[in-house]
Amino acid sequence: MNPSDYPLALWPPAASVSAASTDHLIISFTVLTLFLTVPIFIAITFFAFYYREGTKANRDHLNIRDSRLEMAWMIIPFVLTLFFFVWGAQMFHTHKHAPANAMEISAIGRQWMWKFQHPGGQWEINDLHVPVGQPIIVNMISQDVIHALYIPAMRIQMETLPGRYTSLWFNSDRPGVYRLFCSEYCGTDHSAMDGLLTVMEPAAYAQWLSHAGTSTSLAAAGKALFSTYGCSGCHAAGSNVRAPSLAGLYGNPVPMQAGGTVLADDSYLRDKILNPDGNLIAGYKQVMPSFKGVIAEDDLVRLVAYIKSIGQQSASIGGDAGSGGTAGSVTR
Amino acid sequence: MSAVGVSPVGVELREQFNNTAQQRHAATMGMFIWLITELLLFAGLFLVALILRITHPASVTAAAKHFKFWIGATNTAILICSSLTMSGAIELSRLGWQRGMVRFMLATASLGSLFIVLKGYEYVVDWQEHMVPFFLDRSYALAGDSASELFVNLYFATTGLHGLHLITGVSILLVLTRQAAAPGYLQRHQNRIEIYGLYWHFIDLIWIIVFPILYVLNR
Amino acid sequence: MSPLDSTIRDAATAQPTIGRPKDYLHEKSTLASWFFTIDHKRIALLYLASITGFFVIGAFAAGLIRLALVVPNGQIFSNDTYNKLFTIHGVVMVWFYMIPSIPTTLGNFLIPLMIGAKDLAFPKLNLTSWYIFMGGSLFTLFTVLVGGVDTGWTFYAPFSTTFSNTWVIPALIGVIIVGFSSILTGLNFVVTIHTMRAPGMTWFRMPIFVWTHYAVSLIFLLATPVITIALSLLVLERGFGIGVFDPALGGDPVLFEHLFWFYSHPAVYIMVLPGMGVISEIVPAFSQKKLFGYRFIAYASISLASLTFFVWGHHMFVNGQSEMASISFSVLSFAVAVPSAVKVYNWTATIYRGSLRLDTPMLYAMGYIGLFVIGGLTGLFLATLSIDEHVHDTYFVVAHFHYIMVGGTVLAFLGGLHFWWPKMTGRMYNEAWGRVGALLIFLGFNVTFFPQFLLGYLGMPRRYHQYPPEFQLLNILSSAGSTILAVGYFFPMIYLVWSLWFGKRASANPWEAKGLEWSTSSPPPTHNFLAEPVVDFEPYDYPIKARERV
Repeated sequence: MNPSDYPLALWPPAASVSAASTDHLIISFTVLTLFLTVPIFIAITFFAFYYREGTKANRDHLNIRDSRLEMAWMIIPFVLTLFFFVWGAQMFHTHKHAPANAMEISAIGRQWMWKFQHPGGQWEINDLHVPVGQPIIVNMISQDVIHALYIPAMRIQMETLPGRYTSLWFNSDRPGVYRLFCSEYCGTDHSAMDGLLTVMEPAAYAQWLSHAGTSTSLAAAGKALFSTYGCSGCHAAGSNVRAPSLAGLYGNPVPMQAGGTVLADDSYLRDKILNPDGNLIAGYKQVMPSFKGVIAEDDLVRLVAYIKSIGQQSASIGGDAGSGGTAGSVTR
Repeated sequence: MSAVGVSPVGVELREQFNNTAQQRHAATMGMFIWLITELLLFAGLFLVALILRITHPASVTAAAKHFKFWIGATNTAILICSSLTMSGAIELSRLGWQRGMVRFMLATASLGSLFIVLKGYEYVVDWQEHMVPFFLDRSYALAGDSASELFVNLYFATTGLHGLHLITGVSILLVLTRQAAAPGYLQRHQNRIEIYGLYWHFIDLIWIIVFPILYVLNR
Repeated sequence: MSPLDSTIRDAATAQPTIGRPKDYLHEKSTLASWFFTIDHKRIALLYLASITGFFVIGAFAAGLIRLALVVPNGQIFSNDTYNKLFTIHGVVMVWFYMIPSIPTTLGNFLIPLMIGAKDLAFPKLNLTSWYIFMGGSLFTLFTVLVGGVDTGWTFYAPFSTTFSNTWVIPALIGVIIVGFSSILTGLNFVVTIHTMRAPGMTWFRMPIFVWTHYAVSLIFLLATPVITIALSLLVLERGFGIGVFDPALGGDPVLFEHLFWFYSHPAVYIMVLPGMGVISEIVPAFSQKKLFGYRFIAYASISLASLTFFVWGHHMFVNGQSEMASISFSVLSFAVAVPSAVKVYNWTATIYRGSLRLDTPMLYAMGYIGLFVIGGLTGLFLATLSIDEHVHDTYFVVAHFHYIMVGGTVLAFLGGLHFWWPKMTGRMYNEAWGRVGALLIFLGFNVTFFPQFLLGYLGMPRRYHQYPPEFQLLNILSSAGSTILAVGYFFPMIYLVWSLWFGKRASANPWEAKGLEWSTSSPPPTHNFLAEPVVDFEPYDYPIKARERV
């Protein structure tokens, strides 16, 4: 059923376990707030009539302060609400750590469209198709201003920043068609930067993939670009420029010239491609040119996917390659 | 100014106050509060400078090496001297030695102007060395190192804002000196000298923070 | 009652009609006597006229926004026009109405009266603040009306620095200038409260209204410079590309969000705290009972002003800020609710066993308590991390802050205006019209904004010019409510102005309220009191009704 078929919506569909628990959280919190406020509202209304000027009522009072009472109504509601802070923080923690088997979708936001790319290289504009029951992690970056990817049915959103990767993940348990929006104001057509998220049975998804354009995977496309942009000239084994090997780099700490290490993640790789002069690596002379303005954002995604894939392939020799790249300080 | 002698010192009571003690207290407190907000204004820039230093240490060092350490250090000394002369002016104003006070104020203004001249010279050298990345038409000495560009821009923003304060300070000081030279001034407005002195010390203080943050820490 | 006490009151109330000194309104009547006045009361009226003008402009823009949202496909205005409209609404309402509203009008008028001073410490500076305010705000107003700006009042980089094609720099410059006016007002208040209190007016004899204005002034002083420098960097970035917020140069747009919210979250309390002060005056006066827990409310005001500096990060739970930071900001935001709750409970306890009169100011005060409670608690929802991940930047947020700002600031402002209207103008307004207006505003407000909570939870993002059709009915309901609200706002504008000429003359203390401002004539003479008051009574000096049987 299409989302626009509902004439009047009062509660959004919940398409994942996590979305359902957000609903539980807000409903329980609402119950608590009603418990805290309805008595005040009733009391104020009642007092307003009962103690109106001229009515017969007991107006004796001596107390104009009462520290114990004050402490009570400071502390009790605070402690009660803290319970919801903990609940919310726990869920937030889960939302920040995607399961290891999550399928990775890369998303690029730009004024005013979303471009989603599947691991197999298939891409789509504004709409996104995903299989049901499979954790999906969306890695995002923006080409221009700040956007935010928002999927109400999953009760989740994340800002999409220029120059830095961010991600969100969800695991839908209900096939259907849901809306996705850009929720951070991004200019003229901000409100048109939306689309549909289709959650499908895995078989249907596989079929959809096979009909959806390119069959070159992201990593494979990245491998081709690795030569096109001349990266392999230095970084391939046997090149005569002494550059660190990239095999097994991904996900490992890289020692810095200034001391300390940095984890080689998506943002790190992207940074080093665009701005090799920053954060110099220990043991190497910096000779790499900057590729800023040379490599477009979607090609960067492919390159990073490729470097990532060779990081995972050679996981067994990852330690070797990593240390070879860092401790190998002998000049050839 | 006719006599070398001591003139009477005091404050003219404004109608909203009950006595001059209250008036002095209010004026001093007002100036202090204003200076705190000014300090917070600069604090924003200092914060950004420190963040840059943490995120791009190499580029920041490269940029800072182009700054003229000796001009900065001389300027620091000049401002400290000017604070001394300003303190002298305040002390003399309390004693009612009007002519001496005016001389000290002129000395303060000249030291401030000297700072501005040296700072201007430093900017000229920056221009000659192609260290002005915000002029898009002029090539940049450290082209390619974009984070250094950012730090140099921040250097211009911070020293520019400080320079603006100093130019304002010198202008006010000159006007104030002219007024304070009139006979009977100290009898009516002695506390204006003190209030202004706070502002001058503040400009000095800001430079004493700017200098290490931009010049020294990053070398 | 001590002899000293009675002398002040005599000085004020036992004025013979003949030979009475001219009040501040009638002392001089040339135009120059208004535009170059240094009397805090006249400056307050200058501000009142200006911010009312800004309110009308902002409200008009809001009306057009609600009109546009009646249809889902955005056909009433173009996308750019819509974006400019909500920018006008946000910029004008936040920077030029909400932030100056209560402090510069009621605060300016009442602080010297309440502490028994002849004027603020720096009257010329006070007038200068008004000129700075008018200069900056009219400049920005001209910019947003003629050229148009489409960044929203938040001016997020890099959209505002690189991508927007509108008049961002002039708009920013105007806002920066207005910031200096806030700083100078805050400075004036702090110095006045510290140094100008009448003999006997100790800190704990000051009305809560003065306490909250003290707290607000601290926020003005500590937060405004940060937004000034942040917006200046934005100007430099847009003008010269200095790159601090530009990721292409290694800068960081999130840094702007930090600097911006470091000011703009405390700014919320700039809007809310004075309102709390107003309510703390109205509730005891119309209950004829001492304010319950005076010291707790005073401390709560100061602790709100300090805590508010440590919660800015709750605007950034979904921008990639570190998990630990988000969790800390979340729990601190829960803590901010404590001092707010203290006030609500204390007001309720004040009403208990009072002797209530449900006149217009009291109706506004009760409406305020209701709306503020809803706004505050939905604020707790937003401070809950996983709820914010869903409703961040949706209409839920829009509804929440309108409950706080309209429910809090506007109702308190209107309540305070009615309460002190006799003191400011020497005239009474028509009570029946006042009550109808208050009820219409309360009703219209709820019909407008309650549906927006539902819309937000459904997932309608804010600043949307077109939206999915399933959201239309709730949007129509909200727009319908806004027409009621608009009619409600017309009421006070008409009958208050009417009362200036035709209203009954007010006595010095028409509400039988306590406090120094009621001990002088209505309207007060130029230097407020005929003789310097000496204070030897506690604040909210309403009679305590002890048990008669004892």
